[in-house]
Amino acid sequence: MATGKSDLLQGTLDLLILRTLSLGPLHGYGVSQRLQQLTRGVFHVNAGTFFPALYRLEEQGFLAAKWGRSENNRRARFYSLTRAGEKRLAHETRNWETVATAIGRVLRATEA
Amino acid sequence: MRNLFRPAARERELDEELRAYVDVAVQARVAAGMGAAEARRTVMAQMGKVDTVKEEVRAVRAGAGLESLGRDLALALRQLRRAPAFAAAVVATLALAIGANAAVFSVIQAVLLAPPAYREPDRLMVIWSNLDLAGYKRAPLSGPELLDLREQARGFQDIAAIWTTTAQISGEGEPEQLRVGLVSANFFSLLGVEPRLGRNFEPTEEGQGAPRVVILSDALWRRRFGADPGVVGRTVHMDGGSVTVVGVAPPELRLAFAPDANVPPELQAFAPFPSDHARDPRDQYYLRTVGRLSSGVSPAEAEREIAEIGARMEAEHTEYDASGRSFFAVGLQDDAVRPVRPVLLTLLGTVGLLLLLACVNVANLLIGRELARREQMAVRAALGATRGRLVRQVMVETLVLASLGLLAGLAVGQALLHLLVAFRPAALSRFGLERISLDAPVLAFSAGVGLVAAVVVSLVGLRGAMRHDLEAVLRGAGRSGDDAPRRRMRRLLVVSQVALGTILLVGAGLLVRSFIALTQVDPGFHADRVLTFRLSLPRGRYRSVAASTEFARRLEDRLRALPGVEEVGAVSALPFDDLPNWSTPYTYDGVDPKSRGGREADARSVSPGWFETIGAKLVAGRGFEEADDGAGPPVVIVDERLAEKAWPGRDAIGQRLQVDFVTDQGFVPTWARVVGVVRHIRHRDLTEVVREQVYVPHRQSPRNPMAWALRTKGETRVEEATIRRIVAQLDGELPVYDVRPLLAYVGDAQGRARFTMVLCAAFAALALLLAAIGIYGVMSYSVTRRRREIGVRLALGARAGQVRRAVLGDGLRLAGTGLVVGLVGAALLTRAAASLLYAVSPLDPFTYAAVAAGLAAVAALASWAPARRATRFEPIEVLRSE
Repeated sequence: MATGKSDLLQGTLDLLILRTLSLGPLHGYGVSQRLQQLTRGVFHVNAGTFFPALYRLEEQGFLAAKWGRSENNRRARFYSLTRAGEKRLAHETRNWETVATAIGRVLRATEA
Repeated sequence: MRNLFRPAARERELDEELRAYVDVAVQARVAAGMGAAEARRTVMAQMGKVDTVKEEVRAVRAGAGLESLGRDLALALRQLRRAPAFAAAVVATLALAIGANAAVFSVIQAVLLAPPAYREPDRLMVIWSNLDLAGYKRAPLSGPELLDLREQARGFQDIAAIWTTTAQISGEGEPEQLRVGLVSANFFSLLGVEPRLGRNFEPTEEGQGAPRVVILSDALWRRRFGADPGVVGRTVHMDGGSVTVVGVAPPELRLAFAPDANVPPELQAFAPFPSDHARDPRDQYYLRTVGRLSSGVSPAEAEREIAEIGARMEAEHTEYDASGRSFFAVGLQDDAVRPVRPVLLTLLGTVGLLLLLACVNVANLLIGRELARREQMAVRAALGATRGRLVRQVMVETLVLASLGLLAGLAVGQALLHLLVAFRPAALSRFGLERISLDAPVLAFSAGVGLVAAVVVSLVGLRGAMRHDLEAVLRGAGRSGDDAPRRRMRRLLVVSQVALGTILLVGAGLLVRSFIALTQVDPGFHADRVLTFRLSLPRGRYRSVAASTEFARRLEDRLRALPGVEEVGAVSALPFDDLPNWSTPYTYDGVDPKSRGGREADARSVSPGWFETIGAKLVAGRGFEEADDGAGPPVVIVDERLAEKAWPGRDAIGQRLQVDFVTDQGFVPTWARVVGVVRHIRHRDLTEVVREQVYVPHRQSPRNPMAWALRTKGETRVEEATIRRIVAQLDGELPVYDVRPLLAYVGDAQGRARFTMVLCAAFAALALLLAAIGIYGVMSYSVTRRRREIGVRLALGARAGQVRRAVLGDGLRLAGTGLVVGLVGAALLTRAAASLLYAVSPLDPFTYAAVAAGLAAVAALASWAPARRATRFEPIEVLRSE
């Protein structure tokens, strides 16, 4: 099922997860840590929305998952971007930039 | 896909991943210097409840449908428990509609669709003759006619015949009266019916002087012979003579003849004709015939051939002069179902409309519920529930409703079927409905109906669920702004409900009017306070006219002496009973006696007290007297139709009329003097005058069996045991049977009309209820939604009456639109049921006006409560709450 344009908040989280994983495969905790680092703590990742988002992206075919060993040798599920995921990321990134630019213009215009 | 097939493994993976997540997070914090216990507490607190996380994850999984079906079901049931009125309304609506459809379809399946249990039943045709000018459109054949047809009709392999009579079986237990089918030897083999024991009749067993043999019905064999497998070859006593049992008929045997053939579906015994058809008079019509088509011959070809042979025969025989006689063949099953087909099709149409109405009603209820739940759904969507999840929830909920409706519908169907069978009219009794059940095809049909209903219902629900997206939330779910399309939809649904209800009400109204007209038909006699019973005098001991006269006089004297008995009379066939009709050709002075064919009258043998007992009106002359017996000159009484036909404008009394008398020598055309004229008695059909009638005196021309009737004073009741005792005192071996009030026979005649009327009226009442609920629901919602507007109006000084009138007017406008559509629909559709109507036109203005007024009243009533509620709003509170 394609994600509708209305799913604003979900869409944002999806975009960030895809972007995080475009740098290389990570397990769930790693993704959440990386997200917090990259957003400098602005995004606080909540497991209740984070895991559903991961699983949804996997179901949609944007992520692949396989079991592996974490850096401290624990069994963990590693996620990586699929080709469809890369395309999705590119697409969502363009969308986001368009929207962000537009909103930025509006905000600057009102400030001026 | 693996989600579908390995849900447990998926669940384990999820558990493990979440555990790993927690462990890694805890380790990271410990590495950063936090205490292990505290680290775990922090992580767990951040994560929230693990179960919630899992639930959310499951919700996003594709193919989670099967896995989470249990949870969805539980959720749906919980939701429905919270709205019991809604759930009950939907389930009850579906149950009633599905139940009604299942029951009516079961009957249709058994009667119209299932062929009779004969070999290749579609190759069987019955042959009737039409004595058009004599007004006898479906007359049986005579013996010589049967022989001619057998010889000449190439289109038929063979033709068989049956005629029903009664016989007394005695020895081994109580003497008992049996209904016996006299059949041609080929009857069972032609139908393709194999006996369960013994053999079918041989050709040598038919005709004068043949050995007397009998085939017992399965029921009689079980009841009287204890299902003795050794019964074949035994000798039994019937009508005083010895008869050899050669076979036992199969238990499923039913005779599938039309009701007016007067061949009951079940007879207790069968015997070959004891006389030669070649010796029968050509104008003694009594044989009910059925033929099997030759291979390769189509029914249409056979029909044509029969018609041609008929035309040839008419030209060759003077007996047919001036009769307008013709023959026709018609498929056996078509002929048998003809009288009930319109009843069943009308019922099918009715329940079909009811089902449509039920679907509309359910859709309306669902939209109403969805409107009410809009905010809840929007909030869930905002909280991250996916659209798929919401859709699935609505789907599951509607499917749960549909399944419950289907289950309840089957129970309702079963109950309704029992009622249908219990109240079935005589015309339907011929089809073995005692054994009917909601069988496999019917269950399939019901399931189909249920599925269609579920799909309709789900689609409505789905449309609603799909609309709840974030946009709606952002625009403010609390405000009731954006449901205009659905409001329009609901109003449209209410209009169609009212329209469908109107059609059903008009149909039912017409049937009620027909039935009332039918009960007001004057049949020419008074049936109340008349008790009847039948007796058959064994030919062995009551061979002569004198002997049966002697017995009848003694019996009637004793009956008349009973306290409270006013009159006693006897007749050869009671009005509306199911004995074969007896008719006789007649002629009178002044017409060529050779051309008897054009005049056929129903004939009855009656005792002197008969007309007084049933309150029939003597128009001229006198009734029969005891002196009109074997010693006196032959006399007859005719009805006013015969008198008018034979002697128009002249006095019928004293005229000579030739009719068949039953004498010691059998049927003998006899010249008799007309001594009286009675009013026509409707004894075969309440709705039309069929044929002229002639009455012969029982003391000169007795028949067997006879029915005796007692008219009692006021509340007096004569017990069956009293009658049996009196008869036993006269002759210990005579079985009394068919003890029934005459009113019961009249009730049988009204049965078809009553049956159709009661059912259609019940379904129409249901439709009215559903329409009223629909109007109420929509008006209630509309008032709630316009609370603010009404509050403002009231605050601005509008009077309560004005507001009430506005709401009422709105409701009436909805109903009015539906009413107009419905009345037009009714005018078009009720034509189809015209054959069921009696003395009322399908466009009867009274019925239409009554339905319109009634519906308007119901609509007003249904809008009244919401209208009153509207004026109770406190303006301030309303404005504050918005």
